[in-house]
Amino acid sequence: MSHTHSRHSQIDHASAAATMYDVVVVGSGVAGSIIANELSRKGYSVLVLEAGPGNGMTIRGYETDLSRFYGAASKDNNAAYAENLNAPMPRSYETRKLPPGQPNTSGYLVQNGPLEIDSTYARVVGGTTRHFEAKALRMLPEDFDMRTRYGQGLDWPIDYRKLEPYYRKAELEMGVSADVEDQGYLGISFEPDYVYPMRKIPVSYLDQLIARGLNGATVTLEGERYPLVVRSTPQARNGIPNPGYNRGKGYVPTGAVDPHQAEMGQRCQGNNNCVPICPVQAKYDARRTLAKAIDTGRVDLLTQTVASRVLVDPVSRRVTGIEYKAYQDFTSSEHTTGTVRGNVFVLACNAVENARLMLASDLPGSSGLVGRNLMDHAYLLTWALMPEVAGTMRGTPCTSGIEDLRGGGFRRKQAAFRASIHNDGWGWATDSPYTELFRLVDDQNKFGRALQRGLVDRISRQLLLDFMVEVPPDSGNRITVDPRYRDQLGNLKPVLSYALNDYVLDGVAFARRLSRRIYQRLGAEDHSAYDPLQYGWVSHEGQGYVIRGGNHWAGTHVMGTEAKSSVVDFRQRSWDHANLYLTGAGSMPTIGTSNTTLTLAALSFLSAEHIAQELKSQA
Amino acid sequence: MSLTRITSVEELQRHLHAAMQLEHATIPPYLTALYSIHPGTNGEAYRIIRAVVVEEMLHLTLAANILNAVGGKPDLTTPDFVPEYPAYLPDGETDFQVDLQRFSKAAIETFLKIERPAPAEAAGKPRVVKRRKPAKGALRASRVADNSEEHFYSIGEFYADIGNGLTALQEKLGAKALFAGDRAKQVGPEYYYSGGGEIIPVTDLASAHAAIRLISEQGEGIGGGIFDYENEISHYYRFEQLTLGRFYQKGDTPGQPTGGVVDVDWNAVYPVKTNPRLADYNKDSELRATAADFNAYYKRFLEMLTRCYDGQPQLLIEAVGEMFRIKEMACQLMRNPIAGAGGEHAAPTFEIASVAVEV
Repeated sequence: MSHTHSRHSQIDHASAAATMYDVVVVGSGVAGSIIANELSRKGYSVLVLEAGPGNGMTIRGYETDLSRFYGAASKDNNAAYAENLNAPMPRSYETRKLPPGQPNTSGYLVQNGPLEIDSTYARVVGGTTRHFEAKALRMLPEDFDMRTRYGQGLDWPIDYRKLEPYYRKAELEMGVSADVEDQGYLGISFEPDYVYPMRKIPVSYLDQLIARGLNGATVTLEGERYPLVVRSTPQARNGIPNPGYNRGKGYVPTGAVDPHQAEMGQRCQGNNNCVPICPVQAKYDARRTLAKAIDTGRVDLLTQTVASRVLVDPVSRRVTGIEYKAYQDFTSSEHTTGTVRGNVFVLACNAVENARLMLASDLPGSSGLVGRNLMDHAYLLTWALMPEVAGTMRGTPCTSGIEDLRGGGFRRKQAAFRASIHNDGWGWATDSPYTELFRLVDDQNKFGRALQRGLVDRISRQLLLDFMVEVPPDSGNRITVDPRYRDQLGNLKPVLSYALNDYVLDGVAFARRLSRRIYQRLGAEDHSAYDPLQYGWVSHEGQGYVIRGGNHWAGTHVMGTEAKSSVVDFRQRSWDHANLYLTGAGSMPTIGTSNTTLTLAALSFLSAEHIAQELKSQA
Repeated sequence: MSLTRITSVEELQRHLHAAMQLEHATIPPYLTALYSIHPGTNGEAYRIIRAVVVEEMLHLTLAANILNAVGGKPDLTTPDFVPEYPAYLPDGETDFQVDLQRFSKAAIETFLKIERPAPAEAAGKPRVVKRRKPAKGALRASRVADNSEEHFYSIGEFYADIGNGLTALQEKLGAKALFAGDRAKQVGPEYYYSGGGEIIPVTDLASAHAAIRLISEQGEGIGGGIFDYENEISHYYRFEQLTLGRFYQKGDTPGQPTGGVVDVDWNAVYPVKTNPRLADYNKDSELRATAADFNAYYKRFLEMLTRCYDGQPQLLIEAVGEMFRIKEMACQLMRNPIAGAGGEHAAPTFEIASVAVEV
């Protein structure tokens, strides 16, 4: 499919400021792009503000990002994107072990602790989908009523059944590859005859070895038995289109974004660096949706334009405009300021930035909950060497996982989790394969064939299981702002306070015990080790663990049924400001054990539908 | 119209064999130019050629689908399937030959000829000429009888004849007799895609015409127009963007693109030898061995495609994976100079017919 509109010719700030838009969207990530696309298709004019650069909208710009990643010495999550002092991003390498009582103020994300977290997000066109891994799991029905069912966390104001049609829209928009046969577990239900747009991404040889090894294994927890099954993981990357999609009409995958007939963006080739950037654009990211939106001719995009303040009418409490700071150069603080106006305003940055912007605008919400209930998944990494060569390093990073402990009665007592089998080896935990190479060359003087054999032996047998443990909402985990901490443009930085409670750590400890059993059963050598000097180190009942962040920021503007106990309603509309929507994972009262993108994409469709109704009734 | 020359299923099948040969014959020249580009340079040129190669693979599969639909048996392993370069195209275009050559202005000029639209004045002219002997380098498939060859000015005209033949034969024989092939051999859209078009399973006249339309329009555009019915730019005008230095956009007139600048660095290219032969590489040299390995590997690739078009469509997914190895081997050759050749580099020779002897 070709896009013949010239997407680089963006509107200038003066014309945008002189326009009264139907909708102003802050953030060009998956939530903002879906809402912009849906509303522009219904005829409404939309302005999208993006704090970061927009070069990724052309293949040439995208490939600049790609070569930056190839050339980067440290391949962190944001390694593909230019250092930008005017829209800074948290970088995992800025995370430091915190001395008690002293915050880490060295990075963009100021960390108060007590637990350090290395989660990040991206501030570039397309948002954090640019570097997400693209796992696209639905939440379990029981995740929506955790308080009622298990006495933990919060209930959602909507249930799985209400969200289900929007999950389908999200799976279409993001182009999810999965087989329904593998996904109907723990109450997840589908429309009769539903199939995903594309068939499951073929599972790796490693997955097949684990599946064979675990065949018949069960776990008993709180008196209930759970079989352990290896299942393929749904993911938003181009695979094999399912001819049965949409009642036999089939599905045509979306390729690369570019105004010039690039015809890229094919099937996943297993390059294994989805995070931070897919070299062939097989992975979904929000640029695809944004490109469609811009092609309607009703969407203007202003990049390098940082929303700095939400303006509210003191009497009506309606939002009247968004103040911005626009810059040309990534290093110079030189900028211009202005205000954009619209009828409806949508904050679609992410859970951290939405809260930061609201708090920086002195809008903590009548409930005082803006910025609170911050959640992310707590990742426990475990790693082992398989007894035989297992084909490790053939991508994509994860093609299967173990989902059986995502739900069950044990959630009254301890956190649920899912586990991913990593095809990309130990890299996340140990910086392998580089560490392996240094050891063989520097410490063991290996070269030639012996070096080659050594690498095959040490790398092709690697197995890493990540355990993604749910973190329930806790009002003490929060984003705040502090006038002492500002970025180069003078915008307030997000300040994070974060800790994990025993409910989560019991889940972590159980995951660790389970990993030992799994490795024993597979005959694998367990190499997991947790260094107390590492950031993210926690001690629980005499055992130490290192917890890694999941980049799944959520909860900072939770949805609920009333203004005093939530920030938005189920349509993500602010209780306090009738024409303001806070969208994204920040609205989620719980995150269960699903990567947040698919669910927040579903919520974006729901909100877009509602905003369209509102605009229609006003007209 | 009675202009059609295809009057029997046998003739139709021979034309479709030629069509597959034709689609494939463009791939080695395109790959040679593509992989000769220094990695990381000439991004626009690289993507333009790459997109065309990918679509030629689609066309090859579409031609195989049509051939299977009419009861033929696609075979990419016949000794003359891969031409010896320089070669005339298998549709009998006689005014130019196609070389295996580096990315260069000359290469793009040839690509433009390969993909050229038929001029309006050529429409309706008879295309079969009697010749006493076949043109040098022309492929057997372009011959319709012992003493006559078909010569088309463009690939589009060649396919137009196949389309007319299909229509005429259906009138003559009925749909059931014409489309008698095994439906299980049809490759479906799940096995391929790029941005441009998808695989159409061919089971009747309508789907056969749809497949032909896709092939013709991706090559030449609609009636010589820049964009096709899916708003996709045709191969001809894609290549022209490289010589004219600008992208085409909607509303442009041919020859006057007004889009963004296309930067081309004709020097950021490995100086690979034109139409190299194994004999150009010293016996017992690594180059010779690698080039021979390449040919053997390419032969296996064609065998795999043949099985794919013979009831095992799932092999197309593996075949795409095999192409990574083809790229790797080609690039390996191109990075290395040929000893005593004045600085010219090696390249794959695509001498497939000689593989059995060589290995």
